[in-house]
Amino acid sequence: MLELRVNGALLEVPEPPVGRTLAETLRDDLGLTGTKIACAEGHCGACTVQLDGVPVLSCITLVHSVGDAEVTTIEGLRDHPLVDAFVRADALQCGFCTPGQIVSAAALVAADPEPTRERVRHALAGNLCRCGAYPRIEEAVLTWRD
Amino acid sequence: MQLLRPESLASATASLGNGSKALAGGTELVPLLRSRLVEAETLVDVRAVVPRGVDGTRIGAGTTLAELEVDPQIPQALREACALAASPQLRSMGTIGGNLLQATRCWYWRLKYPCYLHGGSLCHARQGAHREHAIFGNERCASAHPSDPAAALLALGAAVRTDRRELPVADLYRLPTDDDRDVVALEPGELILELEVPQPEASTYLKAMDRERFSFALVGVAAARSGDETRLALSGVAPIPWLLGSPDELDRATPLPGTAYKVDLARPLLRRALAAVT
Amino acid sequence: MARLIRTEKEVEGRYTEQWVVVEGDDAIDQWPRGPGAVVGRPATRLDGHQRARGQAIYTADVQLPGLVHAAVLRSPFARARVNKLDLSRALELPGVVGAIGPDDCHVLQTEPGYHGAPVAAVAADSFARAREALALVEVEWEELEALLDPEEAVRQGSVHEEARRYERGDVDGGFAEADVVVEAEYRTQTVLHNSMETHQSVVRWEGDTLEVYISTQYIWGVRDAIARTLELPPDRVRVICKYMGGGFGSKNNPGDYTYIGIALAGRTGRPVRCALTRREENLATGNRNATIQRLRAGARSDGTLVALDGEYVNAVGWAGWSGPTYGPVEMLYACDNVRTLTHGAKLNLPPNAAFRAPGFVEGTFGLECLLDELAARLELDPLELRRRNHADHDLADGRPFSSKNLLECYRRADAHWARRDEVRARSEGPVRRGTGLASQIWYGGGGPPSYAWVRVGSDGRATVITAMQDIGTGSRTAMAQIAAEELGLPLDRVRVELGDSARGPYASISAGSSTTPSMGPAVRAAAADAGRQIVEIAAQRYHVEERVLSLQDGHVVNADGGSWPLEEVTGLLEDAQILGKGARGPNPTGMRVLTFGVQVADVAVDVETGEVKVERLAAIHDVGRVINPLGARSQVEGGIIQGVGHTLSEERLVDPQTGRVLTQTLDAYKLPTIADVPEMVVELLDIPDDHLTNLGSKGLGEPPIVPTAAAIVNAIRDATGADVRSLPVTREEMLRALAEARERERLAAAPA
Repeated sequence: MLELRVNGALLEVPEPPVGRTLAETLRDDLGLTGTKIACAEGHCGACTVQLDGVPVLSCITLVHSVGDAEVTTIEGLRDHPLVDAFVRADALQCGFCTPGQIVSAAALVAADPEPTRERVRHALAGNLCRCGAYPRIEEAVLTWRD
Repeated sequence: MQLLRPESLASATASLGNGSKALAGGTELVPLLRSRLVEAETLVDVRAVVPRGVDGTRIGAGTTLAELEVDPQIPQALREACALAASPQLRSMGTIGGNLLQATRCWYWRLKYPCYLHGGSLCHARQGAHREHAIFGNERCASAHPSDPAAALLALGAAVRTDRRELPVADLYRLPTDDDRDVVALEPGELILELEVPQPEASTYLKAMDRERFSFALVGVAAARSGDETRLALSGVAPIPWLLGSPDELDRATPLPGTAYKVDLARPLLRRALAAVT
Repeated sequence: MARLIRTEKEVEGRYTEQWVVVEGDDAIDQWPRGPGAVVGRPATRLDGHQRARGQAIYTADVQLPGLVHAAVLRSPFARARVNKLDLSRALELPGVVGAIGPDDCHVLQTEPGYHGAPVAAVAADSFARAREALALVEVEWEELEALLDPEEAVRQGSVHEEARRYERGDVDGGFAEADVVVEAEYRTQTVLHNSMETHQSVVRWEGDTLEVYISTQYIWGVRDAIARTLELPPDRVRVICKYMGGGFGSKNNPGDYTYIGIALAGRTGRPVRCALTRREENLATGNRNATIQRLRAGARSDGTLVALDGEYVNAVGWAGWSGPTYGPVEMLYACDNVRTLTHGAKLNLPPNAAFRAPGFVEGTFGLECLLDELAARLELDPLELRRRNHADHDLADGRPFSSKNLLECYRRADAHWARRDEVRARSEGPVRRGTGLASQIWYGGGGPPSYAWVRVGSDGRATVITAMQDIGTGSRTAMAQIAAEELGLPLDRVRVELGDSARGPYASISAGSSTTPSMGPAVRAAAADAGRQIVEIAAQRYHVEERVLSLQDGHVVNADGGSWPLEEVTGLLEDAQILGKGARGPNPTGMRVLTFGVQVADVAVDVETGEVKVERLAAIHDVGRVINPLGARSQVEGGIIQGVGHTLSEERLVDPQTGRVLTQTLDAYKLPTIADVPEMVVELLDIPDDHLTNLGSKGLGEPPIVPTAAAIVNAIRDATGADVRSLPVTREEMLRALAEARERERLAAAPA
């Protein structure tokens, strides 16, 4: 068995083969399908989760290299004020990239609760949104505590 | 495939070589493994044995780009190159050591065309679609080296320390030849541990890309000045990071039809970079 | 009584006549102009939390017991023949449960005509295993010469349909009387949809019924197409799509992958997921095809257009359709003499698919750039030139417009356009600034058939039931707002159940900007039907006349000032329920229903590095009544951002020798990021179309992407004098155009 610390719980998954990614484990073994896979090679940000608070791409993170780092997925951020902020600002359309956007944004506001517009754009440039909700995402992050 | 997690440098270096691959941030290796561009029986997680963090002019090779982009101790060119590289998540994962060793983004190479760099006889890009490709050193292989920090480190006159030697960043790279298609001059299993980055009086990195962020350089220009000497280096213009003796050397570029614009693009960037450091 | 009506239906500019049945009374007066209690006021998405929290179950998230995963072997060649295919070694791999080839499924091809064409498929207990098995499929390929050049294809007669010819008036005569004639060739590139959720479906047989979970824009189209292909009664195909991750026109039919899944489910007796990878997505799910446009415009010195001529080559690819690139030239301006000739080149390149205002995005780029070149020659203000050529009726067939407020859009654009001197004055050093504009015309009227039911329970809450889909545009919320408005209910007392062909009536495709104008009137009619029943019940219970009762704010209100909470009235029913039914009525006879608008772009161009930044974009559109201003703004912004990508950074590249696609991944194919977004000003006129349905609403998904490229490129010309005639405006294209402009200036300055 492989132990993973996910959203505050210690979880076990049947020993996966080396090469399996964190995203696959979260979605397929743990049923945490809030983490989306949209490119599976590190080019879009849909699969973003935090490892010890740092946003990373779970689609190119080997589950074996997670170790005892705390994994935070969108399921662990469901009560984060950013969720309301995203809905309020209409910061999502199809919503497929949204969990990744929120995970990235949560890491940003934890480090800088009052980010500038420039900093938001810099910190979220790795989360692609094909619907183009970007201006609303920017607004949601700038007003996350309202 | 197996994954080893050595606790000591000695056991790490003992495990490397023989087709095993060192794994740190994984931003390059994992996608290459998954697309079968790299095959390995053994992965060696080297994070426990490669230094991480900045101490004066020494940078641990395991330091992430995200850590470097905000570190006030390091030269501005390297900070800017890190900040403009990749995406926030990739910068959080990727290490500076790994960044120096990344492979080209040439689509022919990435899509496994049997090209020169893969050991074939032909560079498909030269006859094909090559707007992102090289203007220097491109006779056999027109791929462009994608690393922003590498150009910055080259201009800064940095050196790398491996588990067996110290060598200037300039010597870390070599153009591929008929005998050896590798663009990196490390020995099998050799592991970069640290970088020594001299502090210049002024330095900068400018990058032209297809979008504002999260894009590889069409042309990146690094300039670093110490006293009267200014060193210039380019990314995105040759199969390896490219040291430029002077802006005039652009006149000796050998662009392909679709990369001629990169010469025109490099000129104002070089002028601006020089102006910024003087 | 059911009424049978013959009506014209339009989807993405293609008109067909058809019979529709309209039940009940759809002759409900439109609401007065302006915001109501709920409609016309900003509403956050009903499903916003579900989506934001990662709780919404997309097709990608559907898990079923016994599910197996398909992987598809695709042609690595642009054109080839499969001389031999042997699946036996793949089938021997542990975990593999089935494999199929061209003999087993009609979408698998023995003579693939494009890179990415499906040839064989394998199902296994995991996707990784299925991919592994693909490598064991033995294929003997014979590579054949590929046809890649669209002009060559036209010369050779490799086309999808006969060339389309259109002419009105006397074009040659028009050019003869023109004071000024401008002529130019414009080119647009191939653009990939790249929905975040890739094309995929999960299929399973449940008894005699085929269940299809699919990421789709058209639940009913998928049902009917599969039923036709499999020769099943349509209701033995059940199609489910509760949430989907973007389509933009590319998800209007079942797709090869669904048929592959069905064949493998039949073969294995297991539920099958067939999900495309990002790389497959960029090979085999469609694209906005490249175009070549040779255009000519003639005008009198006062700016009156006297002739327009356009020859178009649509690089359609191996399959698909030759889209209406000619549309803007024929429809946008009041020009009596217009001629177009359109070819649809059949090439060994991946098939196209509708992509957000297909044809019009490309055609507007050409026409609206040409118009600015004309304005420059005439020394006429570009906005004034457009005003002078405003069409007050449809010149293509003489019909009046059901509504058109383009002149009002122009009037509102004045404020943005007037900034251009100030914008230019902010140029500094190598950074030159300028302003450009472009007009928009597109369809968006929707049409029948579309149906909805509204159920009101004893608790005084309503549920809208219809088997439509919300592709991320916010349709779910807009439908709830319409029902809430009609029933006098607060929005939080209305639910919407959608996304399942077995659990609701037929609903429109979500393409062609048609969801709101097609579904909205049906939902309103259904809510009105339910409301009428509530009033009838209240009138009997409280012994008042029906005509003095109305529904407001969750109450049944008497004209004398008294009121009863709705749940008090419906509470009488206990477990009984009120069911309202509604149908979409026909579009107004003899009228053209279109959307209009104008966009004004401010750009900054670094004339040394060729860097183009779109700094500001004002979008003013006339799309009838706006149901949800919050969601509508998001739609417009999203369209503009896709337009910015189309203009500046996106391009599918193929190897010119082999026709293989090179930009399969999202590092190579460059979608805009959050850092590329300009400041945007969105103004929707919000003037209901008096002639269109009980709502007066048109669609707005597509209009905002139509004029963006032309507005940006016209701004580039304003800033630099450089003529960009080819998309995308990469560094190399911008530097080329700047060099050409400098050379032109040098020649003009040189003594003769």
